[in-house]
Amino acid sequence: MVDNKRFFLRFIHPVYVSLIYLFLYLPIIILVLFSFNESTVSIKWVGFSLRWYRELIKTPEIIAALQTSLIVAFVSTFLSVLLGTCFVVASKWWKNTWPFHLFYANILLPEIVLSIGILSVFTFFQIPVGYGSLIAGHTLLGLGYVIPIVRARFVELDPILTESSLDLGASYITTFRKIIIPLLKPSLLAAGLLTFTLSMDDFLISFFCSGPNVQTLSVYVYSMIRTGVDPTINALSCCFLAISSLLVLLICSFKVVDQVLTYE
Amino acid sequence: MKFLKHIITDEYPFLLACPTFLWEFIFLYLPLFALLFFSFLDYGTTYDSLNFTLVHYTTIFKTIYFRVIIDSFILATATATLCFFIAYPVAYFLAMKVSKRFRTFLLFSLILPSWTSLIIQIYAWFFLLEKNGLLSRTLCQLKLISPTTHLLNNYFSILVGMVSCFLPFMILPIYAVLEKMDKKFLEASADLGAGRFETFKRVVFPISLPGVYTGFLLVFIPAFGEFAIPSMLGGAKNMFWGNAIVDKFLIACDWRSGSALTSIGIFFPVCVLTCIYLIFKIIKAVRQPRYLKSAHAGQPFKDLLM
Repeated sequence: MVDNKRFFLRFIHPVYVSLIYLFLYLPIIILVLFSFNESTVSIKWVGFSLRWYRELIKTPEIIAALQTSLIVAFVSTFLSVLLGTCFVVASKWWKNTWPFHLFYANILLPEIVLSIGILSVFTFFQIPVGYGSLIAGHTLLGLGYVIPIVRARFVELDPILTESSLDLGASYITTFRKIIIPLLKPSLLAAGLLTFTLSMDDFLISFFCSGPNVQTLSVYVYSMIRTGVDPTINALSCCFLAISSLLVLLICSFKVVDQVLTYE
Repeated sequence: MKFLKHIITDEYPFLLACPTFLWEFIFLYLPLFALLFFSFLDYGTTYDSLNFTLVHYTTIFKTIYFRVIIDSFILATATATLCFFIAYPVAYFLAMKVSKRFRTFLLFSLILPSWTSLIIQIYAWFFLLEKNGLLSRTLCQLKLISPTTHLLNNYFSILVGMVSCFLPFMILPIYAVLEKMDKKFLEASADLGAGRFETFKRVVFPISLPGVYTGFLLVFIPAFGEFAIPSMLGGAKNMFWGNAIVDKFLIACDWRSGSALTSIGIFFPVCVLTCIYLIFKIIKAVRQPRYLKSAHAGQPFKDLLM
């Protein structure tokens, strides 16, 4: 009887876990499968084709949206890594840690509040929303992740290295460039990749701050879905998924997962 | 000139951090406080004479919007609770029962969907649950549901979307705590004669509580402010805080009552959660036997929890 029960437990647990994984992956798998479907009616499987991918390349709006997304992601990644690193390096001269607690708000506040804030700044100063507001928002979002990740590495650095560099006559800027940056490089890369992924995937901030003329990819997908199911969206989602998984793979290879986990 | 030189050479840590501070304050804290300020202003007010009023708050409490906030609170709590019950066995499995290499693979495949675009995930569910979608067709052919049943645009579809999007955020923190736990505790507990269930109840679960709290917050916060899932999977009938904010700011352009709605939405869950926390604390203090109150005995894992 006892053996029976133990066997049952041993058996049921993996089955349960695989069911959960199936629950997480089933919609995505079906989405990917049907993006290769020939038929215009989304439900019937007719045959394998790359027709929707060809249509994707032909649509100029999608290319423009992709361009916007990439520009915003690159600029906001660069900015948030730069600002975050400067902040962390400067923190060496402070005694207290309260400035770091300020940046918890970027992660802890619901994203919708962040986006209203940015929208209100741009409306108040009557700056037209567009690239500027998108970059402002995504950089803000990125800072919340960059600062803890870079800081985790910076705290571990040996202060003797920077001190000896200064003793040997290097200026502050040379020390920063030749000593601190190379030592921080893994965490900078990881944080940058993470911010890039976040920025590419982000919907709420883009939705609020993109304005009438500029559209990111996720906002474009959203507006397309509002009009109904279309196999082109499947193909687009599939490309999106491929890019995201590539980025996640890269992030995992930089071990950022451990850093994020230990931070959270 | 000398003054400038002095600033650049001596105060450069401050200069280095200044842009980041500015960015943070201009784009986050300034607008937050401005919104709070504007939510107290009357409609007719000008910048010469500020008229403060509570009318935006009272209208929210009188109209359907307060109901909307309560609904989102219930939805977020339901999502987080469901996620907890679904996630705990998975996290336990990942931390305790898998070999190390396979575990890396499983963790990777867990992170993958949560870091791909939220919109794509929602669209995938939309595609599956839609009236002519695969799932409803299949269930219909199996005679499990009638052809007129809608799988989309109800509370169920919102909950399914929410749980599948936020589940990894619950699994990962619990896993992180369980993975760090010293496995000798299990042996010790078994040595002392506790069964599997007793060990779980007295040792494993209390140790994993910080992870559970983190996961709860990580699921609760985005679920409370979620806009895309209710609007795409829930149809027009279900309205939540995020949708109400979008209505107020982007469609009605009613900034003052919109900011009142936003600030209530931020403060309401904080207040409720704090109250619940305090009540639990009081109950715990009252129910604790007197002999435990006097001597600091009886909580062997207390310092682990701290």
